[in-house]
Amino acid sequence: MGELLRVENLRTYFFTEAGVVKAVDDVSFVVNEGEPLGLVGESGSGKTVTVLSAMGIVTKPGRIVSGKIFFRGQELDHASENEMRKIRGKKIGYVSQDPNSSLDPLYTIGNQLQEVIRTHFEVSKDEGWDRGIKLLKLVGIPEAETRMKSFPHELSGGMRQRVAIARALAGEPELLVADEPTTNLDVTIQAQVLELLKTLEKDLQMSLILITHDMGLIAEMTDRVVVLYAGKVAEEASTHELFQTPRHPYSAALLNSVPRLDRKAALVPIGGGIPNLITPPNGCRFHPRCAFTKQVCMDQIPPLEDIGGRRAVSCHRWKEIELRRNV
Amino acid sequence: MSDANSAAKPKQKQRGASQAAVAWRRFRRNKSALAGAVIVGFFIFISIYGIFFAPYPSRSYYCLTNGCANLPPFVNWAHPLGTEYSGIDVFSEILHGALGDLYVGVVATAISVAVGLVIGAFAGYRSGAVSAMLLGITQIFFTLPVLVIILLFARIAQILVAQGLGLTLIVVILGIFGWPTIAFVTRGEILRIKELEFVQAARSLGASNSRILFRHILLNVMSPIIVLASLLVAGNILTEVVISFLGFGSPNTSTWGLLLQEGFLYVRTSWWVSLFPGIAVVVAVLGFNLLGDGLSDALNPRIRE
Repeated sequence: MGELLRVENLRTYFFTEAGVVKAVDDVSFVVNEGEPLGLVGESGSGKTVTVLSAMGIVTKPGRIVSGKIFFRGQELDHASENEMRKIRGKKIGYVSQDPNSSLDPLYTIGNQLQEVIRTHFEVSKDEGWDRGIKLLKLVGIPEAETRMKSFPHELSGGMRQRVAIARALAGEPELLVADEPTTNLDVTIQAQVLELLKTLEKDLQMSLILITHDMGLIAEMTDRVVVLYAGKVAEEASTHELFQTPRHPYSAALLNSVPRLDRKAALVPIGGGIPNLITPPNGCRFHPRCAFTKQVCMDQIPPLEDIGGRRAVSCHRWKEIELRRNV
Repeated sequence: MSDANSAAKPKQKQRGASQAAVAWRRFRRNKSALAGAVIVGFFIFISIYGIFFAPYPSRSYYCLTNGCANLPPFVNWAHPLGTEYSGIDVFSEILHGALGDLYVGVVATAISVAVGLVIGAFAGYRSGAVSAMLLGITQIFFTLPVLVIILLFARIAQILVAQGLGLTLIVVILGIFGWPTIAFVTRGEILRIKELEFVQAARSLGASNSRILFRHILLNVMSPIIVLASLLVAGNILTEVVISFLGFGSPNTSTWGLLLQEGFLYVRTSWWVSLFPGIAVVVAVLGFNLLGDGLSDALNPRIRE
């Protein structure tokens, strides 16, 4: 099980007129082969920006301030646009959130697949077209030959998301990033798309990063989880352990705000909202919303502490407090 | 069995409905847009027709020496729209003028669109000092009294450098002063489109900057630009008429504005010399405006029939 992607001390800031937004502030994690990783957190916690930074496609006014990204142990040179372009699509495929706007309305599905295929492989147009048909079949689109000639607006949302996945697979990437792949889909379609992602992961031996705020998806799809809060890693653990024994109050709170079918328990929403990242709270960024806040939480930034067993947590009080999922 | 199956197979459709096809369908149903297209088509037709089949050459004073000057219209069918006091045949001159005005309208617009697209694309796609400066220049252009400056330029250039250039001079000046709207709209559209997910998706899949800009962004900007260009053609024709009418135009090239101006001197007695080119201008400008409106409705995906 080799290491695929390593993110070290990544800081990505957005230099806006209102001030510097520290969207990602010292985030580190590792993606291993065959170990689907979930990035979870509320909206604005820096999940997407983290991944976009790794691929070097943060747009202005955002900028990677510091940090290193390694792909298979090799550091990526973000300064070299040419080199990064070979990573994008070829090593890391990206499926964005909204299938309705992720396809260019002016081109047929076939054109768009062909474009990506021919960016990464030196093949003829016909060969590119044939590969496109194969990709559409791979993601389970019926009548692939006909669909190649369709325009995005002629497809349903679920179909479009399948096409977007096919396109992300066109460069035969080793790592597929799915950024909230089901958020904009119907529940029934969601299940199909998830099933597809699982099959692809297995069949193509591809690793997966799943970005979501849905703990249910995390449980179903991933082996490891990185919990992000306000641009920082709150906790990193195997999915199983996180669900059994969350160590960070934020992880516990996230779990408690998800309905459960097996037990009768009140849903507990997390009070307050994600902090303003221009002037984040002093000390632990979660302290204004945390039930266990003490003076130390307000004064000092908790380090991301390795607590053994491939777990890490960023909380001053993780040893003292007892977190439980609602009984 | 297999034969029966293949026979029962529904006919595969060859290609889906592209944006352009959808737009054309919507355009076809819009009567005023169609009227605009017909007028514009007719305008183009007569300007080409005039090159080959106009009864008299451009700016010809044939009637002055042949005794048919200052004829009223519908009297002598050799001169259906009458003649001017100095012997110019109004019908021929309108045909030649159509070509002149088409030239002014289309070429000046082409210059404006080219300049506006480049400046607008740069200002929208890049951010930084240069973009801010370009935007500033564009906005300064909006505050200028353009017509006065155009007249000034036309006169200075005519005297100093470009006496032989004729109508081309007007075309260049109109082109230079027409781009700010195009640039402004292009910039705005690019700012909007470059944040759309398909642009990010293209980037995340390894597309190069130029590919993203030309293939994905600029093409998506084209619909409002096409609409604007159509309206700009109408505007340029009108401005040319104004310039010529005020006597700042090219005296040796046929345009409707020039004929209007010449007829205006004797409008009490020879009303037809001004009236017919006037009607031509109104109809042509109306045609381009209707076409622009129709295109705007057809290309705007938010307006569904």
